[in-house]
Amino acid sequence: MSELVLHDDELDEDCYRVRLFLSLLGLEARRVAVDVVPGGEQDSPGFRAVSPAGLLPVLRIDGQMVCGAGGALLALAHGRPEWLPEARAAFARVAHWLQFAGGPLRATLLMRRACLFGGVGDEQSARRRAAVGALRIMEDHLAHRRLEGGTWFVGDGPTVADIALFPAAALCRDWGEEYSAYPALRRWVRAVRGLPGFVTMPGIPDYG
Amino acid sequence: MSGTREGGWYPLMLSADLEPGTVAGSTVLGRDLAVRRDREGQAHVWDDRCPHRGMRLSLGFVREGALACLYHGWRFGADGRCVHIPAHPDLSPPGTIRAAPLRVAECHGLVWASVEEDGPLPEVDAVAWVPVRSLRIEAPWQDVARAVGVPDGHRAAVLDRDVEGRVLAALLPVREGACMLHLLAAASAGVERLHDLADWGQDVRARAEERAGQVFLAGVVA
Repeated sequence: MSELVLHDDELDEDCYRVRLFLSLLGLEARRVAVDVVPGGEQDSPGFRAVSPAGLLPVLRIDGQMVCGAGGALLALAHGRPEWLPEARAAFARVAHWLQFAGGPLRATLLMRRACLFGGVGDEQSARRRAAVGALRIMEDHLAHRRLEGGTWFVGDGPTVADIALFPAAALCRDWGEEYSAYPALRRWVRAVRGLPGFVTMPGIPDYG
Repeated sequence: MSGTREGGWYPLMLSADLEPGTVAGSTVLGRDLAVRRDREGQAHVWDDRCPHRGMRLSLGFVREGALACLYHGWRFGADGRCVHIPAHPDLSPPGTIRAAPLRVAECHGLVWASVEEDGPLPEVDAVAWVPVRSLRIEAPWQDVARAVGVPDGHRAAVLDRDVEGRVLAALLPVREGACMLHLLAAASAGVERLHDLADWGQDVRARAEERAGQVFLAGVVA
């Protein structure tokens, strides 16, 4: 594998998804910082030449640029069946949750950005309701998984789906959701935190 | 909240959701609590406020049998007394530095705390209960209690449902218009039955929130 390069914003949870997965895989990437807040560098001509839609992060892997967390996670998981199962049914379940992470779960990311960087309260907006609804879908799934002894979203071990979903749960306090409302998510967050190579980002406590 | 037969005892969470060596948050009638289980398995409930700078203790972590605050690392032992201040490692902290403990009990698969005046714990058939799940519901707890069949004046009851096997439901009033519903099943329940009960809980949640005018639908905004 040639050198890995990650165009990265420390405060961005999409970038964190990929940093976390790299660390769990024991891989190092050369990091190129992108100044999103306050610089707005994601919209600069220089960055748009790398990522035409302004998506972060950008991973350079085997000489190929992959833009966005979902694509970068898949590229890293490729050829690692423990993280991306090969059997079609299990693969389909992982694909389902990757789609969810890049779709309805975006509401949590937008809520967090509005609360941290938007400067306005967003108490009872449609966006907040959609974000809570998305967290509940994860909570309900994990509550059912637990009844059959399962800890992870798919199968008996962590997959790339768990990594794609993790930041939304771990960072929900930033927009006012407490773990006490999500006991199944809280247990799963502890399980992810216990994985060898786990790293935090700003907003996720490091117990040292 | 007077008038309930259970006095001041409130069901905070499923015992199974409080793993040894961890701390969780809970809220009763707007009062924030830190709930932790020590390595020996004993549960402790304190007000969720570090006596040092007011940080939420539920964000902390358990170290060497004590609860450590995430802010400055002050550690508090089982009785709530401060046992260690990292910035002054040689200091023996005075007994006046103390987190505020509440009375705590564990029975019927639930962690209970005495928040108001003392009273008897709810009497429930002393069979073994297995946890199903807890759900946060954005609706008044009395409405949810009525909907599932918990008698007036109670926060917990074995439900008389026309399905096989007994169900224990317990309600935690979080604040006005929000509660937690804890569900447990008689130990004889099989996995299919537990899944059915978890689904039923989601149905109870959806109906109660619809009555309360609360809708949380994922995917409706970009």
